[in-house]
Amino acid sequence: MTAYIIRRALYTIPLVIGVCLITFLLFEVLYSPELRARRELGRHADKKQIQEIIEREGWDKPLFFNRQAPGFAKVRDTRFADHMTRLLTFHFGRSEKTHEDIGRKIRRGMVPSLTLTVPIFALGLVVSICLSLAVAFFRGTYLDLWVVVICVAFMSVSVLVYILGGQFLLAQHLKLFPIYGYARGINSAKFLLLPVLIALLKGLGGDVRFYRTIFLEQINQDYVRTARAKGLAEHVILLKHVLKNSMIPILTRTVLAIPFLFMGSLLLERFFGIPGLGNMTIEAVESADFKVLSAMVYIGALLFAAGNLATDISYTLVDPRIRFR
Amino acid sequence: MKYESNDNGNGESNLSTTLRSIRLGTGRAGGSGRGVGGSLQPSAFRIHNFAFILLFAMLLAAPGGCSNDPYPSPGGKKVIYAALGEDPHGLDPAQIGDTLSGAVAAQIYDALYEYHYLKRNPYELKPALAAAMPSVSEDRLTYTIPIKRGVYFQDDPCFKGGKGREVTAEDFVYSIKRLADVANKPRGWWLLEGKVVGLDEFHQRSVDLLKEEERMDYESPVEGLKALDRYTLQIRLKEPYPQLKYVLAMTYTAATPREAVDKYKDEFQNHPVGTGPFRLAEWSKRWRLILERNPTYRDEYYPAEGAPGDREAGLLDAAGKKLPMVDEVYYTIMYEAQPAWLYFKQGYRDVSGISKDNFQEAITPNKELTGEFERMGVKLIKQVESDVYYIGFNMRDPVVGASKKLRQAMSLAFDTPWRIEHFMNGRGVSAQGPVPPGIFGYDPAYKNPYKGPDLEKARRLLAEAGYPGGIGEDGKRLEINYDIGSAGPGAVQRARAFQNEMDEIGIKVNVKTNTWAEFLRKTDKGALQVFRLGWVLDYPDPQNFLQLFYGANKAPGPNNTLYDNPEYNALYEKMKSMEDNPERLRIIRKMVGILVEDAVWIPGTHSVSYILKHQWVRNFKPHGITGGYLKYRDVDVELRRRLRRQWNRPNYTALGGILVAFIAAPIFLTFLGKRIGRRA
Repeated sequence: MTAYIIRRALYTIPLVIGVCLITFLLFEVLYSPELRARRELGRHADKKQIQEIIEREGWDKPLFFNRQAPGFAKVRDTRFADHMTRLLTFHFGRSEKTHEDIGRKIRRGMVPSLTLTVPIFALGLVVSICLSLAVAFFRGTYLDLWVVVICVAFMSVSVLVYILGGQFLLAQHLKLFPIYGYARGINSAKFLLLPVLIALLKGLGGDVRFYRTIFLEQINQDYVRTARAKGLAEHVILLKHVLKNSMIPILTRTVLAIPFLFMGSLLLERFFGIPGLGNMTIEAVESADFKVLSAMVYIGALLFAAGNLATDISYTLVDPRIRFR
Repeated sequence: MKYESNDNGNGESNLSTTLRSIRLGTGRAGGSGRGVGGSLQPSAFRIHNFAFILLFAMLLAAPGGCSNDPYPSPGGKKVIYAALGEDPHGLDPAQIGDTLSGAVAAQIYDALYEYHYLKRNPYELKPALAAAMPSVSEDRLTYTIPIKRGVYFQDDPCFKGGKGREVTAEDFVYSIKRLADVANKPRGWWLLEGKVVGLDEFHQRSVDLLKEEERMDYESPVEGLKALDRYTLQIRLKEPYPQLKYVLAMTYTAATPREAVDKYKDEFQNHPVGTGPFRLAEWSKRWRLILERNPTYRDEYYPAEGAPGDREAGLLDAAGKKLPMVDEVYYTIMYEAQPAWLYFKQGYRDVSGISKDNFQEAITPNKELTGEFERMGVKLIKQVESDVYYIGFNMRDPVVGASKKLRQAMSLAFDTPWRIEHFMNGRGVSAQGPVPPGIFGYDPAYKNPYKGPDLEKARRLLAEAGYPGGIGEDGKRLEINYDIGSAGPGAVQRARAFQNEMDEIGIKVNVKTNTWAEFLRKTDKGALQVFRLGWVLDYPDPQNFLQLFYGANKAPGPNNTLYDNPEYNALYEKMKSMEDNPERLRIIRKMVGILVEDAVWIPGTHSVSYILKHQWVRNFKPHGITGGYLKYRDVDVELRRRLRRQWNRPNYTALGGILVAFIAAPIFLTFLGKRIGRRA
């Protein structure tokens, strides 16, 4: 298993280099150093100051290959190498807009993001599995029909509609929730309830439909018929046999999502004022803060690789037939 | 400062009035669900009912009992609640170049001078950390400024023993040197460049040192910048610069303690240490920024005199009271306009602007408050801003730059009143020249003879310019490139309007949208033909506006039109270093006359801000120039608490109704389906 993990970790190297290259091309090459310097110095900057900051930040270096430099520095003393070093060593530098240390910015933003995404993830998982087990149990009845219809209806509407509608109806008119804001610790509950509810409703449709299909597929298997023939109660069959045998697709869907909980939610955080990483990413996009953006894209790629690995490992835990090779 | 747009155009909103609420127990709602649910299988009913109760409990659990109040309990403190559209970019005085960061920093830092809170027309300076207005030498080159004694920096660990030390003249020498040191990425250096004896050399040395990655030595003397003794600052100028007094009122030159800069280094911008009425208590990025009363703030009292009408408005009721009036300022960072607006409506913000989407909700077509806001006791304050938005011509352009009559004709085809109504909800004043209201030299009676719309005269001038009906000598229709610095809907609509107006007199306009950065690069290269821009004052002196036409300021300087008229230049050089007097006024009028005759701009509008304030806010008067005015503001905490409670009663009845409808609809439809099925 160790060998497998090492091998998989090595597979991520090309991925990481690819991500570095793409973020570099997107963020560093397309935007001219002069414009970046201008933003740093403001409207009244003169040519001398602009030139000076470009030199200091190394924005005047060649992109990939430095002809003038001797030996190894030909490759090392370039903007791409600087960019790579920043990302690989996790020394992301300082934000171009607010001059904060990006590493610290990310660590601080993670907590509010997690307080939002973990409840969404955990509740979403429990509710959607319970609901899909229930509709599998009542398959073919009106309950089944309506639950699926309602779930699909929820799924089909844009999340922005829920956000604005929720703020308008539940927060503004019924005055049940604060419209916007955040608090530390347990007090955050009243701010998080509405966004969590919205994310749940939005996510339920896809999950319930997906799990229901899986459960129904299992229910038609021979082992279920055997279990019924043994005289097992239907709920025992569902919880003990069907659920266990459906674990592989459920895990595929969920484990991969776990690492991304750290990244937060772009829209919900933005509209409800939760100071997490999703909010930070949008802020970086708006102000063209490339250092923050490339750090977030890079971390996202690493988390994706980690999620994939975790999914593969989790398979062996639920299905002893699967072996690492 | 250059501005892209004053987008406060029109828009609609149909948010209706607040619902009054009645409490209702949860039992009945649950009961009705059970009653209708009877038709399902028994076990289905159980699960169904369980899901229903779960949902209901989730909705009620947290908000039930507690309100929608987004703030922690203030205890016994008096708090101003406000919102910021984004985080300040940093709070290092030398680096602050935007109004939002400046408005926050000005509460924490004090400069030598500050603007009088109430007086207007003109804006009046008064000493802040200085003990008196500067005494200026005969040749107007030496400024001697006495510093107030007994002013202390706020307590901070960077000082010995954690106690703030006394402010001295050396602190201002240091702060101004910081502004000249390129390593600090100063944004205000342009204000002093070429003005103070020896400071440019200091600046150049900082540029050279930075290349060698060394830090500047702040002990090295600057000839024109001296602390004569502990409480006297002397500044010596290379040329008369009467605008210096405004520079000394800006946050750029605020007293900055060297201990804090040395201790916090790169983090200094997140850790301001000033002498102001408030100090930074908490700054959680993207969430909130809290200022608390600075307990060691110097003795400073509410002014006893103001502008005409201030006494009647109750603005002098607090005269003589010690400042600041409140204990805390709680800013919430709100990127989106809608939640900020709803905060105001629920009473969770004290003062608000009006975004274009909410304009019709708050303001009637007669430009008064709507009934809803009247009933809430909200007050509307209208404030004419000292800014100007204009269409500029490139004076080097072979087409528009070459023909004065062509520019005059275009100006006459331009319909400002229509624009004010359609793009600004009436929140604008038609500009006649470059100098805005509130600034010395503005003449409310002056009428620009080339301000339209006067299509007949425009067509005549166009013909005289050699383009009868818009057709040039070569028989082709005249085509103009019009650049705007945004691709937003507001900017594009304005550009379309310009296209239509010019089309009326036969000129074809090609609109080019740019990103703001692209647009700036093009202006710097002088690569634009016709463009739209705005200018918001840096300091209340007409020179700040008239410099936009001075030949030596040509782009990449602030003169974007590349206008270069020897007569105008000579007048400008004379005017810029004069004190405000009738002679200066005469020269300014003459300069404006030259600009208008040459039609370098089509002057567009000066904006008018509409500001709403709740009835519990006291001593509020908007000021056109960024500064630390929150120390004057007061709130009636008891009134605010009462009204907030009244406006924010949760409505559980409606919630119950929605939930019942939500559960009942499928059941009803199922029944219906079954009956129809049976009948068939």
